[in-house]
Amino acid sequence: MEILYLLIPLSAVLVLGILGVFAWALHGGQFDDLEQHGEQILDAATDSLDPHQGC
Amino acid sequence: MQDAAVADPLTGRPGPKPKPSAAPASVLDDRVELARFTRWLPGRSGAPNAESSLRIGGMHCAACATVVEQALRRVDGVVDARVSAAAQCATVQWQPERTRPSALVAAIERAGYAAVPDTAAGARAMRRKESRDALWRLFVAAFCAMQVMMMATPSYLANAAQLAPDLKRLLDWGSWLLTLPVMLFAAAPFFSGAWRSLRSFRSLRSGRIGMNVPAALGVLVAFIASSGAAFDPGGIFGREVYFDSLTMFVSFLLAGRYLEMRARHHAEASLEDSIGRLPEVALREEADGSAAAVSVLRLERGDIVRVPLGQAFCADGVLTQGRTRADESLLSGESAPVDKAVGDAVVAGSMNLGAPVAMRVDRVGADTRFEAIVAMMRDARSQRPTAFGGADRWAAPFLWAVLLLAGGGAAVWSVIDPSRAVWVAVSVLIVTCPCALSLAAPSALLSSAMALARRGVLLRRIDAIEGLAHMQTLFIDKTGTLTCTPAETKGEGMLMTRVDGDAPVTDADTDAVTDAGARDIAASLAAWSSHPLAKMIVREGAGRVWRDLGETAGEGVQGRADDGAVWRLGKRPVLLPRPPGERAEVRGCEGHSVAAPALTPSYARGRGSQAESPQAAECWLSRDGVAVARFQFAEVLRAGAADAVRALQRAGVRVALLSGDDPARVAHVAQLVGIADAHGGMTPEHKLAAVRAAQARGERVAMIGDGVNDAPVLAQADVSLAMGEGAQIARAQADGVLVSNALADVVAARALAKRTLRVVHQNFAWAATYNAACVPLALLGMLPPWAAGLGMATSSLVVVVNSLRLAR
Repeated sequence: MEILYLLIPLSAVLVLGILGVFAWALHGGQFDDLEQHGEQILDAATDSLDPHQGC
Repeated sequence: MQDAAVADPLTGRPGPKPKPSAAPASVLDDRVELARFTRWLPGRSGAPNAESSLRIGGMHCAACATVVEQALRRVDGVVDARVSAAAQCATVQWQPERTRPSALVAAIERAGYAAVPDTAAGARAMRRKESRDALWRLFVAAFCAMQVMMMATPSYLANAAQLAPDLKRLLDWGSWLLTLPVMLFAAAPFFSGAWRSLRSFRSLRSGRIGMNVPAALGVLVAFIASSGAAFDPGGIFGREVYFDSLTMFVSFLLAGRYLEMRARHHAEASLEDSIGRLPEVALREEADGSAAAVSVLRLERGDIVRVPLGQAFCADGVLTQGRTRADESLLSGESAPVDKAVGDAVVAGSMNLGAPVAMRVDRVGADTRFEAIVAMMRDARSQRPTAFGGADRWAAPFLWAVLLLAGGGAAVWSVIDPSRAVWVAVSVLIVTCPCALSLAAPSALLSSAMALARRGVLLRRIDAIEGLAHMQTLFIDKTGTLTCTPAETKGEGMLMTRVDGDAPVTDADTDAVTDAGARDIAASLAAWSSHPLAKMIVREGAGRVWRDLGETAGEGVQGRADDGAVWRLGKRPVLLPRPPGERAEVRGCEGHSVAAPALTPSYARGRGSQAESPQAAECWLSRDGVAVARFQFAEVLRAGAADAVRALQRAGVRVALLSGDDPARVAHVAQLVGIADAHGGMTPEHKLAAVRAAQARGERVAMIGDGVNDAPVLAQADVSLAMGEGAQIARAQADGVLVSNALADVVAARALAKRTLRVVHQNFAWAATYNAACVPLALLGMLPPWAAGLGMATSSLVVVVNSLRLAR
């Protein structure tokens, strides 16, 4: 059970890391509008793609 | 008030129009910019006063509104300030010679809130920031709560022998580390809210303490006690840690607030969508025939403006060139585009869908019909009486009682057994941690709103449920709300067409059936039917003797006259009269109605047996199976409208009809549905005055409407519902939308709202009982801290489960 002394602190640090990833996604605007992009493909009228996407 | 809005904001304004976003506060003082959120009112001393609308950021509760209001009133030169917590905006009247808008913004910022002028762009950015912020805090709290719960599980499951003390300490430390982000970041709104609330309490003696204070205090005490226990087990705080309850509590509260914020943002955005459709730039034709892009604010009466395809008309005016279709759903609720030719009037905010055209500007800016209604609506919204303060009312006495008990307990125990004094005080504070109390109302309101949404009643403002339960007076609009309009008949209330031509139809007394005679026969037959259409035909004084009366659902009512002829009123008879000309006419009408089945109103849906008939808004009179006359209706009662009104009246609600329509027709409809109090010929101002008068009498007023002219009234009423078919602006303004357009849903919604309030009271009663039972135990030192933590969690669980019963 000695491994727990390593794993518990590790899990705590991992949580903080995941929080950081989420913060990056959130402040990048990925959660601003959850419906819009999903519904976009159903809307035939909109012209093709996001011009900034650079594909 | 329309006079005030009319003050011309366009003449003689120097300088280019600055962009509203990223502008320093001093830009607000620019006169052109000022006109975007300010209107001029006649002041008391003769000089005009300015009235500015500002959006306030960072407000969490009704108490915050008071703080901002006080801060604004302290600024020299401010005449009056009103802050609406629901709409998150402030309306400030100020004297231009004594202050500037930038000073107002600075004052609000000093009080700890953010302010931007009430134009859509700034507000949208602020909303996005607020939404991200709330989601971020919620995620931090919920995610950390899950991890803390994981680390807390071993100490719940394992006994002392299985869990080594050093491992337990390690888990506690881990929990502490993961609780830190929750305390320092996620719970910050509670702490800052509590701090502001305390500061305003001290400085203003307002006597109100928000629910933030007890929540913040509970969280803080639980954290300090748990930290003490984690780093110094066996010290004055004992061995028990409450990190799991604490983080869960914070994430529950944040989740409730997040959902509330989402609903509020949605309502605000849809309102702004309807308001913000006016374009910023217009293409004006110069004298030499070229087109120049100018700010809409610089347009003047008489300018010729080109309107590209797909853009909104920027002003009220008249088409001078081209032919197009316009989407005026914004104003009328009618989604089909309207054809526009040269000389036709167009309204600001409607969309140009057909082709590029040119128009002559007649009215601009605040002068347009649209802006006048919007301004009136905003005004009404910020003057709305505040409704729900249930939890806040209780917060202050509750807090003082708990603090006194905890302090008293500690004092007494410090005499009896000093080592237990702190422990007892902590236990009292934890056991009363107002989790259940602060969840009591929001959880019930939320689950009831979910149940209503499934029924087709979408609520924009969640505390509208309280208004629904308490409504004493219901004002109801006629056209579009109580009645609906079949598409092709216009003007006349009811149109009778003879289809028997000159064919001699006799009855007992006269040789031929005159038009009046046919009308009379129909009226007296209709008196025997309970059908909504029959009710429209019935008329006073039309009495005949009928024999063998019978009514068949879906067929109609029939009876035998004195001369033996069988007259029937109802479905179209199989046999049509023979004259060829008339026959062609009948077929033409029929073909027309078949072509437009989608326009047939809900009446057809109300009666299943008639659903196959495309023209439900008509009714035939026939004699011995041969058609005599056809009745068409310009408007018919909505299915179930009369029943709904009667049910509401039985429940003790005073129902009154307010309509802009012709008084005689309003009286007729009122009589059909059984409303005694009916007013016709009312303008939006009259309607607003009627609602305000009822509110001044102390009545709780509800309003149901559908049109643009109802929007200001919907904003003023304590609770308001709009029809799903109604104009967009009415739907954006109402507290709720009846998606199904069925008035019966109002009755159901009111019943559910009443049940919801009962559940809220049960929750409060439970929370109070729980506290009353546990506080004495804690004071006596008989409640070990783990039991206090368990009690705190259980009491909240009971409240949440009780509330969820409503969602079934």
